[in-house]
Amino acid sequence: MFDLKDDAGRLTCAFPQRMDTLACQQYERDVHPKVESAGKPVTFDLNGVGYVASSFLRICLRTAQSVGAENLFISNCAPEVRKVFKIAGLDKQLNIK
Amino acid sequence: MIEAPSVNVDAIMRKAAASAAVFSELDQAHVDRIVRAVFKAGFAARVRLAKMAAEETGLGRWQDKVVKNVVGSLLVYEDIKDLKTVGVVSDDPESGIVEIAQPLGPILAVIPVTNPTSTVLFKILIALKTRNPIIIKPHRNAAKSSIEAAKICYDAALQEDAPDDCVQWVADLPREETQKLMAHKDLALVLATGGGGVVKAAYSSGTPALGVGAGNVPVFIEASADPVFAVEAVLSSKLFDNGTICCSEQALVVDRSLAEAVKRELVVRKARFLSDEEIRRLEAVVIDPKTKVMSVDVIGKSAAAVAKMAGISVNEDASVLIAPLKGVGERYPISGEVLCPLLAYYEVDSFEQGLNLCIDLNYFGGIGHTASLYSNDEEKILRFSKLMNAGRILVNTPSAQGGVGHLFNTLHPSLTLGCGSGGKNITTDNITARHLLNIQRIARRRVNAKFAALDPQLFFDEKVDAEQVERLYHKNT
Repeated sequence: MFDLKDDAGRLTCAFPQRMDTLACQQYERDVHPKVESAGKPVTFDLNGVGYVASSFLRICLRTAQSVGAENLFISNCAPEVRKVFKIAGLDKQLNIK
Repeated sequence: MIEAPSVNVDAIMRKAAASAAVFSELDQAHVDRIVRAVFKAGFAARVRLAKMAAEETGLGRWQDKVVKNVVGSLLVYEDIKDLKTVGVVSDDPESGIVEIAQPLGPILAVIPVTNPTSTVLFKILIALKTRNPIIIKPHRNAAKSSIEAAKICYDAALQEDAPDDCVQWVADLPREETQKLMAHKDLALVLATGGGGVVKAAYSSGTPALGVGAGNVPVFIEASADPVFAVEAVLSSKLFDNGTICCSEQALVVDRSLAEAVKRELVVRKARFLSDEEIRRLEAVVIDPKTKVMSVDVIGKSAAAVAKMAGISVNEDASVLIAPLKGVGERYPISGEVLCPLLAYYEVDSFEQGLNLCIDLNYFGGIGHTASLYSNDEEKILRFSKLMNAGRILVNTPSAQGGVGHLFNTLHPSLTLGCGSGGKNITTDNITARHLLNIQRIARRRVNAKFAALDPQLFFDEKVDAEQVERLYHKNT
């Protein structure tokens, strides 16, 4: 479901098409501890993600808090997801490419 | 210069209140005669007022201001002339609802420097059509022409026996007096068109207000568009009155497959592409360093004049300055709204990338206002529209003329464009006479049979849940 890769000191995580509440719970259980403990910059690759639940916004904020906002990159946002970050006002707090 | 009749706020409001009282007695036919007379007088003065406004403000082109005056008189009149605004305006025997139109009361109309006569014509027409006296508050740099427009309308209205003081005007009103006027207990509405400061003051006054928001209009020329047609349309809009209309294009987003054709056509039409160094020099001129928004000095100036201010050498007949930018936001000041012939320029590799860029532009100071798309793909048009936070999404249309309505579409013609909650406005509508009415509703007895059939005891039984009561509510009896 999640694809977490460690490439030269940088983590990259790919996500399923729908990051709904259940998917987020699974991420928090299975993946988030690894990201948090690695202490490395991380990229959330949202390629193909068409829906994010509130829980995903919380995941982004928690991750930014734990690895540092400057070390979290959110890439390949679909326009629909980009708009969610805009409306939530998170585009200024997070590095969205 | 024509003197304002009074600068005493209480005196103005006393006159306005008396005018409102008399206005409330008028029937539809009388109102329509007044409105027609005002339309005819405003239309007759369109060229003189346009020249006067251009000369007084130094903004824009008088020829385009003539067109604006035609919009503010002819098109507005055509839009409202058959509208019922007095007495019973609808009667639905089935629902038992009868609607009666009542005036709001005195309206304070704040007039912008960019459209100082057309906005006066427009606001007076819609106010008189709805039996509301109106007080014109011109911009200080356009007071002469705005007041002249108001006076022409007032004289025409009086010829048809309109109430005294149905049009008043105030010039050089100190800020405190303006605030006092806005907050006056007898004022019904502030119709605020102008910059953020005056609109905010209107909303803060405690009086109901219809305002506008800032724009930052992205125009996306996506892969299915006709690039030559798109460039022609964009320039006809962006150059109109030297870009003073708030719904004019601010940034060109071009699918890379069309980029060469678009650039070629822009150059054919005398656009001047800027280098990075020239962009930096231009930023210092078009953006006010204190406020971080566009400098008032460049509003409505020609491309050559703006370039000259920045020390950039361009041909005198340059039509528009094109600034290729690498991003959107505060690091790229020209990616925000600048009301002169200047366009930010971007190329994108895909529709998705273009959408993302347009979202960024839309949210960089322009939410709620207007967005523009050139496309021949219905699915893409719908997707773009859903993603933009804009009251007007204009398709294959020059956005300045398209936004004000009735020239390239059937939007209501208006010089006050609502920007919804994104622009801190109550509506995304093009404001017109319909917004200046209190609608009373006579509600005749029509018993809700479904509700009457329910046993009221059900409501007190906490074991009854929503689904049970829903079934009973919809049960055929």
